[in-house]
Amino acid sequence: MKLHYKLLTLFATLFLASQIVFAELIAIPDLTSRITDLTHTLSPDQQNLLENKLQTFEQKKGSQIAVLIVPTTGQEDIAQYSIRVVEKWKLGREKVDDGVLVLVAKEDRKMRIEVGYGLEGVIPDIYAKRIISEAMAPKFKQGDFAGGINDGVDRLIGLVDGEALPAPISNESNGLGVMDILPILLFGGLITGLILRGMFGTFFGSALNGSLLGGLVWLLGVALGGAAIFGVVAFFITMLLGGRGINGYGGRNYPTSGGYDGGGWSSSDSSSSWSGGGGDFGGGGASGDW
Amino acid sequence: MKNLFYRVATVTLLLALSGCGYNQFQSLDEESKASWSEVLNQYQRRADLVPNLVATVKGYVEHEEKVLTEVADARSKVGSMQVTPEVLNNPEAFAKFQAAQGQLTGALSRLMAVAENYPNLKADQGFRDLQAQLEGTENRVTVARNRYIETVKEYNVAVRSFPNNLTAMMFGYKTKPSFTVENEKEISAAPKVEFGDKK
Repeated sequence: MKLHYKLLTLFATLFLASQIVFAELIAIPDLTSRITDLTHTLSPDQQNLLENKLQTFEQKKGSQIAVLIVPTTGQEDIAQYSIRVVEKWKLGREKVDDGVLVLVAKEDRKMRIEVGYGLEGVIPDIYAKRIISEAMAPKFKQGDFAGGINDGVDRLIGLVDGEALPAPISNESNGLGVMDILPILLFGGLITGLILRGMFGTFFGSALNGSLLGGLVWLLGVALGGAAIFGVVAFFITMLLGGRGINGYGGRNYPTSGGYDGGGWSSSDSSSSWSGGGGDFGGGGASGDW
Repeated sequence: MKNLFYRVATVTLLLALSGCGYNQFQSLDEESKASWSEVLNQYQRRADLVPNLVATVKGYVEHEEKVLTEVADARSKVGSMQVTPEVLNNPEAFAKFQAAQGQLTGALSRLMAVAENYPNLKADQGFRDLQAQLEGTENRVTVARNRYIETVKEYNVAVRSFPNNLTAMMFGYKTKPSFTVENEKEISAAPKVEFGDKK
């Protein structure tokens, strides 16, 4: 009987110990939007407002800023928790490393601005500290969390806006170059070639098709010389196409570039899923309390 | 016939090299060197802050020579240290380096604790800026050290596990030293510097 109790105590102790070990690290929430509020401090309206502001900024500047409000960071220092969050979220663009995390641990009364490698020059630790103590902390003291975060975010945007970062557009078109849509271009070119030959005769149809394709490639960002060569090649291929072309197709069902321009980047998706761009952090930024 | 033999031999050798961990050593070795440079970088950044910090604090405090000299001594010790990449392959030199940096960490946190007693100093904007920079740098040091520990762990596991260890022996790849737990504690106690404005 005694042994029975002893065993029970042992198991209970072991169980509790394992619980403590598990409780040591606070889990990091999944990144689904720019504003992650686990404490329900912000109203949906306030969240939307911030979300829109940050989204607009990202589209304009390419830099990703996110806000996370948690009840507590547990055993960890807020800086340790924060670096774990950004290592998982990867805010900012890859190589540019232009992400910023605004982290608030509400019950701990602590906050931190975590700055990506690429922005350590524009947001030095001193500035981050000042944003915390001058813009955020006073409002937090009055219980105005939305206002404090909003002011902090505004000042961060102001700083980042003054920095010459790679433009977001060029970054996107890099991700979707001519090479990616080459199969579509070739296939589309073949069809338009046949149609144009049917409409304008072999020579003029081919010339038209060649110049159209060359122009399209040029619009997609290829250098003028490269586009010209592409167009000439397209002209010869169209000339050499077998058959006499498809006759009788009226109208202009020429496949335009619609669908390839710009879109397809996760950030342009406002609500459903948003993810970090692969930016790195090295512990820059500042912490503070209120 | 001979030609064929050479080809087969080359292919076999390539396969053997990629299978025995040699290539893995190369990339992990480079990675750990890179993360080590980051650690050095951040320590250097901290050392660069010290003269300014000492000068600012000196303007406000009285009878605190002990702490100030302690910081200055630790700083000069760190500064006089020749840190070459060979430190990584020399556990003794590594321990020395670590001890010197640990000493500076301790001295700095004592200095900041002393500063706590001087309201005028705490109100000085220059001091507050330096304080923010020091906090940020200490934090970067922690991050860089943790990343170094991670990469070295990976490297050491690769070097020591079979059959890679045979290759490692053949080419002279040794395990690398990492930061020890005692010093780790000392470092994680450093954020005490972060006294700021207590409620």
